[in-house]
Amino acid sequence: MTDVDLAVRLLRTTPTHENRPESQLREWAGKALAYGDELAGIEDDGEIRVVDREGGAGSRELLLAEHHRGTVTVYSDSLRRVEELARAKGWPVTREALRTAAVAHELAHHLLDVRELNRRLGHTALRFGPVRVRGHVAGAEEIAAHRFAHRRSGLAVSPLLITTALAGGN
Amino acid sequence: MGIAILVLMAVGVVLMLTRVLPTAFALVFLAIGIALLAGAPLDGTDDSILTGVLQTGSAALASTMLAVLLGSWLGTLMDETGIAGTLVRKIVEFGGERPSIVALGVFAVSILCGSITGSAPAAMLAGVVGIPAMIAVGVRPVAAGGTVLMGISAGSPLELPVWQFLSDALGAPVADVKAIMIKLFPMALVVGIAYVLVRTRRGARHAWAVKLERPKARVRRGDAPWYALITPLVPIVLALGLAVPIVPSLLAGVVYALVTTTKWGELNGRALRSLYKAFQVAAPPIALFVAIGMLLAAVKLPGAKNALTPIVSAISPSGGLWFVVVFVVLVPLCLFRGPLNVFGLGAGVAGVLVTGGIYPLPAVVGLMASYNQVFSVSDPTSTQTVWAAQYAGVRPERAMVSTLPYTWVVALGGMVLTAVSYL
Ligand SMILES: [Zn+2]
Repeated sequence: MTDVDLAVRLLRTTPTHENRPESQLREWAGKALAYGDELAGIEDDGEIRVVDREGGAGSRELLLAEHHRGTVTVYSDSLRRVEELARAKGWPVTREALRTAAVAHELAHHLLDVRELNRRLGHTALRFGPVRVRGHVAGAEEIAAHRFAHRRSGLAVSPLLITTALAGGN
Repeated sequence: MGIAILVLMAVGVVLMLTRVLPTAFALVFLAIGIALLAGAPLDGTDDSILTGVLQTGSAALASTMLAVLLGSWLGTLMDETGIAGTLVRKIVEFGGERPSIVALGVFAVSILCGSITGSAPAAMLAGVVGIPAMIAVGVRPVAAGGTVLMGISAGSPLELPVWQFLSDALGAPVADVKAIMIKLFPMALVVGIAYVLVRTRRGARHAWAVKLERPKARVRRGDAPWYALITPLVPIVLALGLAVPIVPSLLAGVVYALVTTTKWGELNGRALRSLYKAFQVAAPPIALFVAIGMLLAAVKLPGAKNALTPIVSAISPSGGLWFVVVFVVLVPLCLFRGPLNVFGLGAGVAGVLVTGGIYPLPAVVGLMASYNQVFSVSDPTSTQTVWAAQYAGVRPERAMVSTLPYTWVVALGGMVLTAVSYL
């Protein structure tokens, strides 16, 4: 599966997109990935406060990292869980690389401009003759952040694939 | 004898709390126990156990049961025809760049859903799409679940089946109940908005998070046309604005939902299918209302009334100030299936307050409506709270801690309003 396929799946499971045509999701996935690529190429100081913690792995949800107001929290227990998965799958992925990717994913949320992303996706929520109201595409940020994390961390496997595999989809 | 009845009620609360008995069954046994202690004859008179409590009592809330069934029918239709889902999707499309706007929008949809049907079905109606959508735009999971719950509760003063219930259970005219509820609504609305703004003000949270249990695939439903989206307003406008009775108001909503979303050839099929599904949705509350009717009949028996009135009137606070202070302090007793939960033993307590003439009827309605605002959101054992919290991925107790400070304020407002208006 390519990143576009995986991204389409991720969008499909995001609420509000259940009913959208495949072609529409595919177009959005491509644009969101491209935005992630572009963002990863831009120079930034990459400075962000990072805190390591335990307590991200629950029975229902695996929380790898979160970003809130410029601080990234990385959950060590979740990373260990992902490392186990990677070993089982035979992916050449180390915990350090995973941590780098998790921090980069959250850095992407810090850097990316949702308005700009929505402008590129060009979804129209409402149209009155010539007047168009631009709509938000839920889940697109996540795709851009995953691609950004992949580029910045040099992880051997796409974060999109890791996410899909964790959710039991592969 | 009054003391014995109170002890029996306490035992009943323990049985419900410990889940030894489902609430509805516990209430039936309580009703029979109270009738026995009150010295009611087995059969033969209108005040007997078989006739008065079991036969007449079971059907005493029949109008409420019909209203609940119709509300469930309308809720089922709003789900099946995509009305609820379309409303949430539009909100995300228009406000997705700002989490607080999305949360306020889902809050508004929850009010509409809560005004149609209560409890878990209302939470699902607004929350199935609304909760993950809020989390997807960066609202914290606790706040996402809490927003739906606060919305449903803010809608409950407008919920026609609740009007019917308080009217049937306490013997108050629907117009009186309506008058109190209309005043309660703005308070619940303002406090609910405050909750949403405070809980989303701290900025968006973005996470790399993976759901391990694969969520059940949401049914893919088509879009409802824009003119179908006002469906939830139809019964409210009819009942509130035009004073149409509750059953026809709800029926009008059902008809409106059907004709705006369904092709002619499919009308019968969809109408019947959704109605039958609604019976299943409405089964838990209807079972509860059968039991509450029996409990009410038992506490109204002459023997029970004579035994309980002196005790209850001795311990009931008199004067507006003490009314507010005491009953606001007692708010926790409506949680965890406690004795002041009006969809449980609280109905019996309210019945005693009314039949004993301890407070004017509208004051009891106001009191019970105020408690309803608290437990319909914050009770971690009530079905909607459990559902919303778990669907958001948090424990129900966290939803309680998050919402209780706010719902307590709504209850305080409701009590002050009641004391000022009716005492
Ligand atoms: Zn993310």
